[in-house]
Amino acid sequence: MSVTRDDVLRIARLAELEVDEESLPALAEQMSRILDYVAQLSAATGSDGLRPFVPGPDAIRFRPDEVKPWPLAAGPDELAPAFKDGFFVVPKLGQFE
Amino acid sequence: MSEAKAAADRLVKAKRLNALLTPVKELRKSLAEQAAAARPTGVLYGMPVAVKDNICTLEFTTTCGSKILEGYRSPYDATVITKLKAAGALIAGKTNCDEFAMGSSTEHSAYGRTLHPLDKARVPGGSSGGSAALVAAGAVPAALGSDTGGSVRQPASFCGVVGIKPTYGRVSRYGLVAFGSSLDQIGAFGRSVHDAARVLSVISGRDPKDATCEDRDPLRLPTVPESLQGFVIGLPREYFPPDLDPAVRRACDRAVRLMKEQGAAVREVSLPHTQYAVPTYYVIAPAEASSNLARFDGVRYGPRADGATDVRALYRRTRGEGFGPEVRRRILVGTYVLSSGYYDAYYRRAQQMRALIAQDFRNAFDRGVDLLFTPTAPTTAFKAGDKLDDPVSMYLSDIFTVTANLAGLPAVSLPIGRVKGLPVGGQFIGQAFLEDEMLEAAYALERVVPGAEEA
Repeated sequence: MSVTRDDVLRIARLAELEVDEESLPALAEQMSRILDYVAQLSAATGSDGLRPFVPGPDAIRFRPDEVKPWPLAAGPDELAPAFKDGFFVVPKLGQFE
Repeated sequence: MSEAKAAADRLVKAKRLNALLTPVKELRKSLAEQAAAARPTGVLYGMPVAVKDNICTLEFTTTCGSKILEGYRSPYDATVITKLKAAGALIAGKTNCDEFAMGSSTEHSAYGRTLHPLDKARVPGGSSGGSAALVAAGAVPAALGSDTGGSVRQPASFCGVVGIKPTYGRVSRYGLVAFGSSLDQIGAFGRSVHDAARVLSVISGRDPKDATCEDRDPLRLPTVPESLQGFVIGLPREYFPPDLDPAVRRACDRAVRLMKEQGAAVREVSLPHTQYAVPTYYVIAPAEASSNLARFDGVRYGPRADGATDVRALYRRTRGEGFGPEVRRRILVGTYVLSSGYYDAYYRRAQQMRALIAQDFRNAFDRGVDLLFTPTAPTTAFKAGDKLDDPVSMYLSDIFTVTANLAGLPAVSLPIGRVKGLPVGGQFIGQAFLEDEMLEAAYALERVVPGAEEA
């Protein structure tokens, strides 16, 4: 198995995603299966040095730089779980690891 | 007014499918209001169009089939919705889907699975399974879905309806909740090629609000051709592997025979990097998803987890409680392939393979092939629960559809027969922005193929 329990915990922290203890073995097993499956890409030849392909317009078109209100039916005060005096309210910033 | 009532009645009759997320009372009220306000001169005047729940609408909630957006009401309409309304169409409720469009069976919805209209033990395909099921059940003439790796075409194939994924950049993505931004396109379902094409034509065209939307006029509807005379249709041999379901092969063989009888020149072609398409897709799509879904953190919209004492705990708990199992898996896989030390081995590699897959298509088209014809999916609709515990086997049901997303090409699935009562879809893949040519071929095949009969 390529992904360990600790790998899952490390990645979950990066992804800001809480995972509970009991789901860790299954997640490690499924992530291993998925990553082992996509690892066949490393066996493919002929792609070295190629420029990545991205569809869509060749160049970004810029809009005229003018203020054009696209009004919203509801503001952040109605959409946010907690909003006060023009600010989103959140608990304090915790310790960074 | 009575048309709005009839439209609502048809949708209510299909309630047992769990295809519609909008409450009946709200649907009836809104349809009546919309009908009263609709522009009688619009080309879709009075046409009810059901909309996948990951497309933002002022009417109804937009939950993406997820708990993390439970009760969310968008403060704006997606561009496709604005265009549908301007054409006189009625927004006929929001349809069930795999959470954030991640899945191929509509089983990964926080609001329960959608049933296949012909066999309730089976799945309608996904992720736009609710839209496909409602069209198949005759509840609406057309519906919108989104297609990131086959999420319009595969459910169209499973349910026996038509599903079109346009060229990347043909339709504005403004207001489509992003999953894989370099792959996502909004597509249309219809009971016939014409119904789906009419809707596509209305929603297509330039949009200053989406920088990836091409500066082009809306798609013009092609006329139905007399025959397929002059068309060169390529059959990619990698899409007809020896282990292809014999029934699917039989239906495809019959469709090919009918196209030849219509005057098409058919030749075998090769797209040699096809075997790498699914692994490429399942690196790029989760990578883009992990980035796009970072915005759901319980701060700006949606529900928030209780009891967190610092802000990172708030993010983690809200996301941990709000996302379902498949979305978590993809966020984790996506974060993994983008993380330091793995980026080159997975993500860069996949981006380069994507270039080779796109080149395969260009080579085929450069050799004089107008269109490619393939099965849409390797099987007919499978039983609910069959693939839930095995993500890789679920991913492989997208094997014939992901390539069009990776290469940004248009594709359409249409019914080409049934096997043991279950629909089989055939897929045309066209050249970029030549949807009209692709739809002409689909019209011609639709006219001669007995799509609802055993193959």
